[in-house]
Amino acid sequence: MNAGDRVRVERASETYEGVLLPSSTPESLVVKLDGGYNVGIDREAADVEVLENDVYDVESAQADQQSSAIEFDEDLPTISLISTGGTIASTVDYRTGAVTAQFDAEDVLRAVPDLAGMANYRGRVVANILSENMNPAIWQDLAAAIEEEIEAGADGIVVMHGTDTMQFSASAMAFMLDTPVPIVFTGSQRSADRPSSDNVMNAVCSVEAAKSDAAEVMVCMHATESDDVCALHRGTRVRKNHTSRRDAFETVGAEPLGEVDYESGEVTFRRDYQERGAVELDADTDLETDVELLKFTPGTDIALLETVADKEGIVIEGTGLGHVNTDWIDRLDEVVDSGTTVVMTSQCLEGRVCDRVYDTGRDLIDAGVVEGEDMLPGTAKVKLMWALANAESVTETMQTSLAGEIQDRSVPWT
Amino acid sequence: MSEYDYEALGLVAGLEIHQQLDTATKLFCNCPTALREPDDAERTFTRYLHPTKSELGEIDEAALEESRVDREFEYLAYDTTCLVEEDDEPPHRIDEEALDVTLEIAQLLDMDVVDQGHVMRKIVVDGSNTSGFQRSMLIAGDGVIETSDGPVGVEDLLLEEESAQRVAETEDGVRYSLDRLGIPLVEIGTKPDISSPEQAREAAERIGMLLRSTGHVKRGLGTIRQDLNVSIEDGARVEMKGVQSLDDIDDLVRNEVRRQVELLDIRDELEARNASVGESQDVSDVFEDTDSGVIAGALNGGGSVQAVPLYGFDGLVGREIQPDRRLGTELSDHAKRHGAGGIFHTDELPAYGVTEVEVEALRDAVGAGEDDAVALVADDSETAAMAIEAVVERAKTAMDGVPEETRGANDDGTTRYLRPLPGAARMYPETDVPPVEPDVTEVEQPELLTEKVERYQADFGLDEGLANQVAYGQRWGLFEEAVDTGVDASLAAGTLESTVTELRRDEVPVENLTDDHFRGLFALLADGDLAKEGVPDLLAALAENPSLTPEEAAEQEDLGSAGEDEVREAIAEVVDRNAEQVETEGMGAFSALMGECMGALRGKADGDVVSDVLREEIQKRAN
Repeated sequence: MNAGDRVRVERASETYEGVLLPSSTPESLVVKLDGGYNVGIDREAADVEVLENDVYDVESAQADQQSSAIEFDEDLPTISLISTGGTIASTVDYRTGAVTAQFDAEDVLRAVPDLAGMANYRGRVVANILSENMNPAIWQDLAAAIEEEIEAGADGIVVMHGTDTMQFSASAMAFMLDTPVPIVFTGSQRSADRPSSDNVMNAVCSVEAAKSDAAEVMVCMHATESDDVCALHRGTRVRKNHTSRRDAFETVGAEPLGEVDYESGEVTFRRDYQERGAVELDADTDLETDVELLKFTPGTDIALLETVADKEGIVIEGTGLGHVNTDWIDRLDEVVDSGTTVVMTSQCLEGRVCDRVYDTGRDLIDAGVVEGEDMLPGTAKVKLMWALANAESVTETMQTSLAGEIQDRSVPWT
Repeated sequence: MSEYDYEALGLVAGLEIHQQLDTATKLFCNCPTALREPDDAERTFTRYLHPTKSELGEIDEAALEESRVDREFEYLAYDTTCLVEEDDEPPHRIDEEALDVTLEIAQLLDMDVVDQGHVMRKIVVDGSNTSGFQRSMLIAGDGVIETSDGPVGVEDLLLEEESAQRVAETEDGVRYSLDRLGIPLVEIGTKPDISSPEQAREAAERIGMLLRSTGHVKRGLGTIRQDLNVSIEDGARVEMKGVQSLDDIDDLVRNEVRRQVELLDIRDELEARNASVGESQDVSDVFEDTDSGVIAGALNGGGSVQAVPLYGFDGLVGREIQPDRRLGTELSDHAKRHGAGGIFHTDELPAYGVTEVEVEALRDAVGAGEDDAVALVADDSETAAMAIEAVVERAKTAMDGVPEETRGANDDGTTRYLRPLPGAARMYPETDVPPVEPDVTEVEQPELLTEKVERYQADFGLDEGLANQVAYGQRWGLFEEAVDTGVDASLAAGTLESTVTELRRDEVPVENLTDDHFRGLFALLADGDLAKEGVPDLLAALAENPSLTPEEAAEQEDLGSAGEDEVREAIAEVVDRNAEQVETEGMGAFSALMGECMGALRGKADGDVVSDVLREEIQKRAN
């Protein structure tokens, strides 16, 4: 008896007939009845008869490797679709019932036929992971892949990425790459296996953004809960601010850089951006990964600081203007003296760190802690990894905007 | 209508009953199951839907077809809906209360409950579900209900989420209201064991009674919907949707049997005549100078007239197959489905401004002789072309007999074409909700409404009519509470049923009366703080001012039960006023004065007490 077999299951007075599903467990047989419903039947109490073997080839039905014919159109730009996994390119794993990523970029074209005719596509898979499993080594692979795609003639890059850690990967690309073309990250908050998934609109708008004139690393996701407009967020200023909403991504400290109208495909920008072709392609993908992000809240054990004291860099997500318990300051002084770069950011997220207002702050500056300006804590962590591996003066680099991660003027309404 | 021999015709019918449950919260979130007015909407948003594949790699053709029409769905959201209805948050765990009620229903229908229920996604891309699917779970199978014509098997019992209410067509699609989305809904499908129109109605009534017996189903318009499946031998399975009232069910079955019989008869006649359907063609020229408003309107608007010759169909297109519905109406339904206003056919022409001469020219133009019929559609050119093709297809089907299809119930017991029968295989597992293992040992079997009726007569001495009214009404729970607290059963029943009905007739807004109003009123009665004569006035006052408590309303209306002194004083006054009459008529004045006394006491005193005191007072003067 195997998944895909047609079976008759007798259980007490009831008889069930249908196809045995791979989601069966040691306790329960899961059978898809002819009406389409699945039911679980207590395995011990059940009397099973196999009526026919392999009526469905469950594995290949799910994979369904029909090839999609993609024709090259000279008049269209070439967009490279790079998949790292995640909801936008995912389908349901009917063994575990969970949503897992098992599509490559070609599948995305098949899954989102609306992309056809908008561009010529190159497909590439850098990883096939859930975004919570993303790590700096894959950022380096991704940066290298993007560099190769641009060298190979891509007029724009769309990176399909799980939403959980998209903002970190986008920041990493922003620091590692000087790009002459748009690099657009997108994903979906509601899985691609539902008719209401946001994947179609996000993918379509991302391709429009990748064709645009803005050679920036951007995140393109729903601007509202409606399927009308996608926001374009600068990769270093964006944050996932909701667990499940379509419009979870928000630019912190400013309005989004631009937006894409789904119906017309029109891309508009609110502020200046780096234009297409303004810089030569360059990649500095080295990272010092021995960096931690530490959140201080009331009662946080100083022992936590000890566990990261030997790191090359520490980003602290402090309270308010950028504080920690005053008892920590002497120890932080020693940590800095021992050669660790310590950068202060704020768990307020909105606003700028200023350690010159209160004594605690002034003491932190005296201890050698670097003010992280208005950088998002997550962005600061990625930047510190990059700065430690690439910059001559880490402190100066951390306080200078490289990719729009620091805003000189606090004007959140713009 | 002459009755057919349904057994000889091989009538097979089944019912599908959808009933909303009256639970505190929705099936997959903690929002209340309250319906709202579209005007109360706080926010709106718009979405599109895209078809997807099932876990077995299949894509539903009907869903695909539907999605090709690029439609935008607009949703109205309220302060009583949340992100779950908006498909912006995963569903919560299944509502325990809804599951319990469903298990009660399973017991009442004598069904076998599954070991493990799996929530499925039933793909629906018409926008009525924000997710693009309806969540539905098979809870039980293999039940039975009794009817006087024998048992009817129950195939399955599903617990699912109600869809969003369609509010309006918009320029780009459809507007839906999210208030209804997610209300728990049970679907009960019978086996095709029903063999007569009366049995269909009786089975539906029986299931309705069993559902109400749980005391946890919603009441009122739209809270229960019946679908009917009907076929006869050589006919075809036809699904009838949107049956509004139980009273229509037997008529719908009768009319559908007649329709299938007539369509089979037409098929035989067409076969005997060696009939065929010709090619459609543009016949606009024929109607260049027409007086027909419909046709002239289409032509003047730049449209065209399309016609098809139906060889050998003469007289059959106009043949009645249901009351006031003909084969021509069926052709027309299909044309309407493609956007046309309808069709004309030669069995009904000349009429509607189309002249005899035009009919002849039309026949000539399409090569139709006197044994043939012609159907035509006048509309904008694209619509007319599509509609006439739909007519051609339906006319061809007439030569095969009865098409399988989904039909909509009309108010008069007839039906109209809606769409083809939906295909199977549009189910995906809902991976966001873990399977549930129903525990039937905890479920109590409720008292049936039929049993209630008997008990109310036996234990409380209600007459059968009132017992029926209370048991099948919406307030038997309040009735039983009232009786428990010592209120006289007839008074409690009368208050809840007849009094409310009378007040409604007097245009008192009784819909404002809440359960708590009744509870408070019964407490006043039980404590002797309100005379039964004061009940109508108190209810009227509460209905007019629903924010009042029954105590406040009683005070406002001066309905507190009068003490014996107050009663005696009031009656003495009346008797004094009428001293002359009392003196001359003695006890003969009783009836006349009784009314006056009751009026003076304005419902504050019990009639029996007033009567006793009045007798005493008259007695005193007469002496």
